Amino acid sequence: MENKILEVKDLNVKFSLRGKELHAIRNLSMEVYRGETLAIVGESGSGKSVLNKNFIGLLDGNGFISGGEILYHGLDRTEPLDLAKLKTEKEWMEIRGKQISMILQDPMTSLNPLKTVGAQIAEAIKIHQKLSGNDLKQAVIRLLEEVGIDDAPRRYGQYPHEFSGGMRQRVVIAIAIACQPQILICDEPTTALDVTIQAQILNLLKELKQKFYLTIIFITHDLGVVANVADRVAVMYAGDIVEVGLAEEVFYDPRHPYTWALLSSLPQLGVKGDELYSIKGTPPNLFEPVVGDAFARRNPQALEIDFVEEPPYFHISPTHKAKTWLLDPRAPKVERPRYIENIRGVGRR
Amino acid sequence: MLMYIFKRLLRAVVTLAIIMSIVFVLLRQMPIEGYFPNYDKMSRLQIESGLQQMGLDQPMPVQLWRMFKNLAKGDLGTSRVYRNNVPVMEILKPKIPLSIKLGSLAILVSLLLGIPMGTLMARYRGQFFDHLGTGFVVFIQAVPAAVYYLFIQLYGTTALGIPMLFDPNNWKMWVLPVLSMSLGNTAYYAMWLRRYMVDESSRDYVQLAKIKGLSQNQIMFKHIFRNAFVPMIQYLPTSFLNTVIGSIYIESLYSIPGMGGLLVDVIKRQDNTMVQAIVLLFATVGIIGLILGDLAMVALDPRISLGSRKGGR
Repeated sequence: MENKILEVKDLNVKFSLRGKELHAIRNLSMEVYRGETLAIVGESGSGKSVLNKNFIGLLDGNGFISGGEILYHGLDRTEPLDLAKLKTEKEWMEIRGKQISMILQDPMTSLNPLKTVGAQIAEAIKIHQKLSGNDLKQAVIRLLEEVGIDDAPRRYGQYPHEFSGGMRQRVVIAIAIACQPQILICDEPTTALDVTIQAQILNLLKELKQKFYLTIIFITHDLGVVANVADRVAVMYAGDIVEVGLAEEVFYDPRHPYTWALLSSLPQLGVKGDELYSIKGTPPNLFEPVVGDAFARRNPQALEIDFVEEPPYFHISPTHKAKTWLLDPRAPKVERPRYIENIRGVGRR
Repeated sequence: MLMYIFKRLLRAVVTLAIIMSIVFVLLRQMPIEGYFPNYDKMSRLQIESGLQQMGLDQPMPVQLWRMFKNLAKGDLGTSRVYRNNVPVMEILKPKIPLSIKLGSLAILVSLLLGIPMGTLMARYRGQFFDHLGTGFVVFIQAVPAAVYYLFIQLYGTTALGIPMLFDPNNWKMWVLPVLSMSLGNTAYYAMWLRRYMVDESSRDYVQLAKIKGLSQNQIMFKHIFRNAFVPMIQYLPTSFLNTVIGSIYIESLYSIPGMGGLLVDVIKRQDNTMVQAIVLLFATVGIIGLILGDLAMVALDPRISLGSRKGGR
């Protein structure tokens, strides 16, 4: 686990909106290890997507990195590369597709409706390899077969509207892995698909990860998906990671009150009549500086210090840490909600 | 596909027939006085025999039927006022190529100017060229065409050192009318292309193209431009019509012996057969424009398939 591929150090990302500054990522640090699947979970607006857009240089025009580093340790590099320092499109073109690639959320809109599927994949291959004519076509067909599309030679010449949602997402995946990237960012790749297709896509990703030795960063708010794919889980809240650990640790031994709340709001099959748990209140306004623990105002068990000072990370195990004062030895003992004790056995591999 | 084109052509004929009937009926509502320059001095008998000569004494349906019967035979009738007893075809024959040449040159020039302009405006969005282009578009759209037509003629003829009167064999004479006629469409193309390209560039597939590692220029031309051009096609028929409308004024301004100026002239002089023939021609141009637009749409957008039962999207 010591082989880091991506290292984020004290990253700060801000957006200028109507003359004000929105602090979307607040002093965030994290590591991604080579060959793992790291799931980043959190509610909408917690900054999951914004964080990942920094890794591939797709931050919206009004967003900027105001501090920190994103060190990328590529296999073919001796020196780590600081992605936060990349400025021009040209520098990013060296990274995108070849080193770091991404799958977008909605397969229905991620493909150009006016170009054949084959041409769109070929375009990606051509950037990396000097192939043309029949060789290129064969490479595309191989790739289509790789992502589980039957009858690939015929499908090659078809347009996106002739594909179903699941099939389109397979095509998008084929495009994303066409240049054999080292990191694959999946931004909620299954959210727009129905459940049976979801499982197929997740299995495909797992398969491809083994085959191409990919490192996957998986953004989602679906905890069922997390349990299915993730080696490690990072829980994001208000632009920071509040708890991170192995999937087992975060699911069976969650320590941050926000993680408790998140797990509690997971609907369970077979439990009828109970009202669904939802987290009260709204996330803090990131136009204002956050004082203390960002979750304190919504946390029924908040301590006094939570409103005054931001907690540091407390280690529970070498792989598991959480940012909450509850883990301080001086803190009173707080029972975690009974509900999440039953989480065992849900969505396990 | 062929079936579809056939059906469209059939419908076009029906449309033309309706247009012709309406124009025909309207023309017959004109005062009888208009047909005779010295109506006041004519006797009742003279007027009646005159009307009879023109076939205007018969009931309207009979007249209408006769016109269609002649049209079916390819006979557009004979002019009576513009040039007495000369077949309309003969009058129009030398004029049609001139108008077609002028119109197509104008459309060509506006495409050649408008498309690069819109593309550059979208590419350098928010920068100097975009503002400059927007200024041009606003100017052309806001100022009545007649005003800048006149200025172009006034300053253009001096700058080029050419006489005001048109001479089809001198290429210099074509510059100003073609330019004037193309400006409206140029602004139109530039405006809509910019708008569609800006729309397209915020789509997910553009983001995916970026993720692939394509450069900004590759994305601009291989993806955004191509996709933005499809909705542009729907403006093709309109630009056909704009050109026809433009020609009416431009041709009389530069005294080009084409069809545009002629229409106004013959309406004023109540030369019914001439009006009918010219309206028929203009309407045909408009309808052909519409059909071409739809066919081009099919050629460029694979999601649209005409005539098949499966349906597009």
